[in-house]
Amino acid sequence: MSLFDKFDPLKSRLSLVEKLIGKDPLGVKFDDITDARHGRIGNREILLAGTNNYLGLTFDKDCMEAGKAAIDEYGTGTTGSRVANGSYSGHLDLEAALADHFGMPSCIVFSTGYMTNLAAISGLTNEDDIIFMDADAHACIIDGTRLTGASTIRFRHNSPADLDKRMSRVKEKKGSFFVIIEGMYSMFGDIAPIDEFLDVTHRHGGYLFIDEAHSYGVFGETGCGIAEEQGVLDQVDFISGTFSKSLASIGGFCVSKHAEFEIARKAMRPYLFTASPTPSNIAAARAAVDKIRTRDDLRTNIKDRAAQLHKGLSDLGFDLCADPSPVIAARRPNEAVCALEWNWLLENGLYVNIAVPPGTPQSTSLLRISLSAAHTEEDVNTIIAKFSELKDNQADLMQSLMKMAG
Amino acid sequence: MPDNNEIFAKVCELLKPYNPENRPITMQSGIVSDLEVDSVAVFDLVMGLEDHYDVSIPMEMVSDIKTVGELCTAIKQLAED
Repeated sequence: MSLFDKFDPLKSRLSLVEKLIGKDPLGVKFDDITDARHGRIGNREILLAGTNNYLGLTFDKDCMEAGKAAIDEYGTGTTGSRVANGSYSGHLDLEAALADHFGMPSCIVFSTGYMTNLAAISGLTNEDDIIFMDADAHACIIDGTRLTGASTIRFRHNSPADLDKRMSRVKEKKGSFFVIIEGMYSMFGDIAPIDEFLDVTHRHGGYLFIDEAHSYGVFGETGCGIAEEQGVLDQVDFISGTFSKSLASIGGFCVSKHAEFEIARKAMRPYLFTASPTPSNIAAARAAVDKIRTRDDLRTNIKDRAAQLHKGLSDLGFDLCADPSPVIAARRPNEAVCALEWNWLLENGLYVNIAVPPGTPQSTSLLRISLSAAHTEEDVNTIIAKFSELKDNQADLMQSLMKMAG
Repeated sequence: MPDNNEIFAKVCELLKPYNPENRPITMQSGIVSDLEVDSVAVFDLVMGLEDHYDVSIPMEMVSDIKTVGELCTAIKQLAED
């Protein structure tokens, strides 16, 4: 038996999809990315509507200049962790800027968003603690819970009442309750009632940890995310986020209203044993924080575009997963139909995400769009028009599916 | 206290939506390997059992459960504690 035999089920699932559409949907190659809204595959220009580039800052002049200047000053990499090689002034400056933005005393920066949650969850909890995790939590949260000795109990998605019930079931505990939710969920684009979760969590004496990876920059008066939008930012114990969405770089952060969080820096293995973010990544993210704090116009535009797209797709009869937000996902009947439709859109110049189980809630197959503040009204009209054409071509697509099946 | 037969019947009932092809379920059935329930759906199934028996089945325990029989045994033990 080969080491790789275990991948056989995955291989046959992928090969079925490849037979259907002639390509691997998880291996799209762009020949060029021309700006925050456009890429190129061969000679075909592609409108990008699935890149989580929420504020469209990847080609912002100031962010690009900051990244280039940091390479000139500090070189291309740090070649080690901050414990071994020391911190650069950029790391400390970015931590101070994020702490100041959230109005919290403590911030730690990590090398990716994924590692942020691994580090924070596994570093802050141990076998004495009990973690309560939303049922739709992202893979990096689930993986974080696997790295700790703490017991993990799942509660029903976005239900503070269900959390209350499950917390009440615990008769005795040695350590702390640690509740993990997300501000906006990445697959459906639905939003957590943070005020209610705070009430339940704190009533049981627990700590609330919110992943605002998809909401930082986009929601709240100054862009801090859903907790700020709901007026409860000062009560949240921990907020994590990523640099690879609104901040248009790569890395992650965790802020806390507890100054003692700083000591965890000395205990979080995914922080201690990983090379620190490169100077250019840090500098670009630092420039983007200033944009987030000052560019209300970007938030206004993405909200308008979300409302426009949500209405357009609803009017076409698509079954959408949530109210308007920068993530708009349409439920499709199954994986095969979803793959065919996704491919048709790409062949016709529109890039969206295909999302299938087990990476999606409720075993759904989704065409997932993430909007950007860089998108114009005309771009969104184009997206709606492509989905309309897709509907018009449905009969042909189904025919090719039947042909394959039979 | 619930007996084994009652727990088995409840597990079968809650497995129904995840077993559209109506594969026969026995105590020896592998939840993922035989019934092909996906990993996320297993956790959804467990939440239904937690509520019915008013117990907590932590995720790390679920990860070690492979068969319907092991799931029934875990519930029985937790309900008796």
